[in-house]
Amino acid sequence: MVKFGIEFVPKESYWKILYYAIQAERGGFNNLWITDHFNNRNVYVTLTTAAIYTNKITFGPGVTNPYLVNPVITAQAVATLNELAPGRVVLGIGAGDKTTLDSVGVEMQKPLTAIQEAIEIVTKLINGETVAYKGEVFKTAGAKFLFKPKGKIPIYVGAQGPKMLALAGKIGDGVLINACHPKDVEYAVSCVREGVKEAGKNYDEVDVTAYTSFSVHEDIKKANKAAVPVVAFIAAGSPPQILERHGINVKKAEEIKEALKVNDWGKAFSGVTPEMISAFSVCGTPDMCIERISELLKSGISQFVVGSPISANVRDGINLISEKIIPHFKK
Amino acid sequence: MIDLTFRNMIETVPSDKRGLLSEKLTDVLLSTKNDEKMPSELANAILYHWQRNLLLVEQGLATLLEAASLLEPEKTTKVLTELSLTEIAERVEQASAKTEK
Repeated sequence: MVKFGIEFVPKESYWKILYYAIQAERGGFNNLWITDHFNNRNVYVTLTTAAIYTNKITFGPGVTNPYLVNPVITAQAVATLNELAPGRVVLGIGAGDKTTLDSVGVEMQKPLTAIQEAIEIVTKLINGETVAYKGEVFKTAGAKFLFKPKGKIPIYVGAQGPKMLALAGKIGDGVLINACHPKDVEYAVSCVREGVKEAGKNYDEVDVTAYTSFSVHEDIKKANKAAVPVVAFIAAGSPPQILERHGINVKKAEEIKEALKVNDWGKAFSGVTPEMISAFSVCGTPDMCIERISELLKSGISQFVVGSPISANVRDGINLISEKIIPHFKK
Repeated sequence: MIDLTFRNMIETVPSDKRGLLSEKLTDVLLSTKNDEKMPSELANAILYHWQRNLLLVEQGLATLLEAASLLEPEKTTKVLTELSLTEIAERVEQASAKTEK
């Protein structure tokens, strides 16, 4: 049965995120993902409070990166969280986004190698091992925790490109695919399957997750309006081959990008087309969202994550998903 | 410590209006842009009651009213007036005017 996750960005106050987290847990969501960007509030502080205020929802960073947070610190953070909420912690890790790393002068060095090495270090440390590791990106000299970590912490790899998707399938317990359209998810899943096969695992051992931009409202116009800003940024950042895959005019996306650069929100947002909304978000009335999620499920995903904006009114959005969408898939 | 004035105000709210009042005050708080005005003690009290599904009972509702009055006095007064809780609306308005002075 498909799992439902929800993502929050701790740019919001902690009390709003926790209010929504409690609401989401009650509404039948299985997973809570908190984004990790240095310029927002800290992900682990947010997750700690979520651990205290919730009882059963699984949670973790969605996603951290090994460049800004050394893998030993990531391992320490999730191992400590797992003491607070045993069995409810997962780790989402990816290469991060170049813009954010550039802004702090950190190079995204060998992302595939970095992720592989980071996961090896994290896994060994949370298994209580002493880690003497000489990787190409990371090195440790006998690193070991002075406490005994308990339990298994599933590791999800955030991935977009074909090589990272295959690696994620190979070494991850889960994969977080940043995609909303069945065409993109189908392609991503085919890459994940290659990695899974290479590792000699069964596909259903891996929790393959569509991590989406989501906007639901009973009024389609309001759903679209809430989705537009997020879609504008995604369209502006998408490579031409992705835009062409969805029949989107590359020049139009370029115009949005230029408008965003100079903070001309009006021009940027008015440039968003229905094709862009369809390609880069799961958006519409509850019935329309159910239809899209059903299509994505056919691609082979096992978790569906509701990400920003969720709805024009987040509280109402969570209620709609809990009352009309999740029950449809839990019948 | 939650301000007892708000608890006293909530005691005067008829039980059939408490559910709607709780919903509307929650909406006011979740849609506010004045997050920085929220005292953490009050935020934690709201979460404590929400976690236990107690935002409908007097103590929980009082935390919502206190927070909403602090963060969004005008919207709070409007909600109270719409629910014909005019006496409380006046008291919130007076308290807000005092705070501004």
